[in-house]
Amino acid sequence: MKLHHGAVRVVAGIAVPLLLLGAWSLTAREGWLPDQILPAPGVVRATLKEFIASGELLDATLISLERVAKGFAAGAVTGLAFGAAIGLSPRLNRLFGPTFLGLAQVPLLAWMPVMILLVGIDEGLKVILIGIASFIPVVLNVAQGFRDVPPALREVGAVLLFDPWSMLTQIVLPAAVPSVFTGLREGLANAWQTVIAVELFASSEGLGYLMSWGRQLFQLDLVLAVVVVLGVIGFALNWGLARVEGRLGRWQVRPA
Amino acid sequence: MPALQIAGVDRTFHVAGKLVPALRDISLSLRDGEFVAIVGASGCGKSTLLRLILGLDRPDKGEVRIDGQPVRGPGLDRGIVFQEHRLLPWLTAETNVAAALRRSDLPAAQRRQRVAEYLDLVGLTAFAKAWPAQLSGGMAQRVAIARALVNRPRFLLLDEPLGALDALTRLRLQAELARIVRHGGTTALLVTHDVDEAVFLADRLVVMQPHPGRISDVLTVDPAARRDRSSSAFLRVRDKVLGMLGVETEAVRVGNYETAA
Repeated sequence: MKLHHGAVRVVAGIAVPLLLLGAWSLTAREGWLPDQILPAPGVVRATLKEFIASGELLDATLISLERVAKGFAAGAVTGLAFGAAIGLSPRLNRLFGPTFLGLAQVPLLAWMPVMILLVGIDEGLKVILIGIASFIPVVLNVAQGFRDVPPALREVGAVLLFDPWSMLTQIVLPAAVPSVFTGLREGLANAWQTVIAVELFASSEGLGYLMSWGRQLFQLDLVLAVVVVLGVIGFALNWGLARVEGRLGRWQVRPA
Repeated sequence: MPALQIAGVDRTFHVAGKLVPALRDISLSLRDGEFVAIVGASGCGKSTLLRLILGLDRPDKGEVRIDGQPVRGPGLDRGIVFQEHRLLPWLTAETNVAAALRRSDLPAAQRRQRVAEYLDLVGLTAFAKAWPAQLSGGMAQRVAIARALVNRPRFLLLDEPLGALDALTRLRLQAELARIVRHGGTTALLVTHDVDEAVFLADRLVVMQPHPGRISDVLTVDPAARRDRSSSAFLRVRDKVLGMLGVETEAVRVGNYETAA
């Protein structure tokens, strides 16, 4: 029964991508769009193979992943701390909350000219922008999660004479776990999108650079090959975080 | 000196810009080992009174005293079972009960033993490792009772603890509650709107009226009347209390318990 259920989910999840692939093949075969704009799936697959074999794709992927790792780590750690602080302390929230919300409204790319003037166009720029991109959703969700701890459960802690440490570890943190993970997942997705945007604009290596290079040479097959890699890695990162969250949320017993 | 004394307590809340008196001039004393039930319609301030005894809230006037000392905050001498079980969903039945011992002086081995003892008392030894989401409402409430008792508190406060359960489970847990409370010799204060439950469990009934919450009557229940829910003595007490709460029953109108029973 369980297996059957799982199989249905896989088939349902895979149906739409297969359909799109079919439409793509058909469009290419019938020549509805010029080859330069939409190369056939076979061409993209060949390009993918070629770039994997030469090691260029792996190099570019590792460079992009490293930037994401640095930026996301910085954004997530500071975001967790700041989000927890304004979520737990109404006073800190009154002091910093409005400023944060205002700055969070600034589109990420609008920071770029300012940041280029401040830190130049090197590695620092990428890590800072990716950091900001992950910081914002982490702070928003973490603060919300800490604020939304059910008062009824806090009261239980008070009745049992919990000290602040017990209150935090036994009640506040576990209650905030789902929101924290929502924030981390959004932050990671943002980080992954931002690394590509930054590399498209200002880089000589990485997956984003590979794409912009392919576009300049009118090698749309290369652009599409990178798109495939981006999708797969983004999916894998999200899945990995969801697994960690599932482990921490074992108590949320779902009907089988 | 009474074990627990509520002395001339007033409590008023600000609700939407208006002053709403929740409790007016409440005075009540409990002796050690006594089981007292407060009955009243919703809005009569029963839960507010329990919060004052717990020390989660302060009276505007008057005092709550234990052995003559005013209550200043929560303490492990007072355990509470709420209407909702309020178990921590991320802890198992066992660790929920153990959480109540975080501030206890017992060594670890004795804590484990104590947790096992109280899970056994509520008949849930087999479910020690279950998450609250895996337990039925009645089972979760038993865990909550074990959590309230595991510190062996002097006072057990019960805030409509069986109110959210189905009728059958409620009857079964009433019998268990009677057994469990007598077992520990705890002084218990039950708040309920179920008059049957109050008569079945309590030595003394306190009838409260709403708007503002105040005590209208206090009556002692004859232990003999308690034993059998269908005895005329039980029904007489129940109907008397229902009458005080403004609910007329057939027996009250006819005035003949022998034929009604």
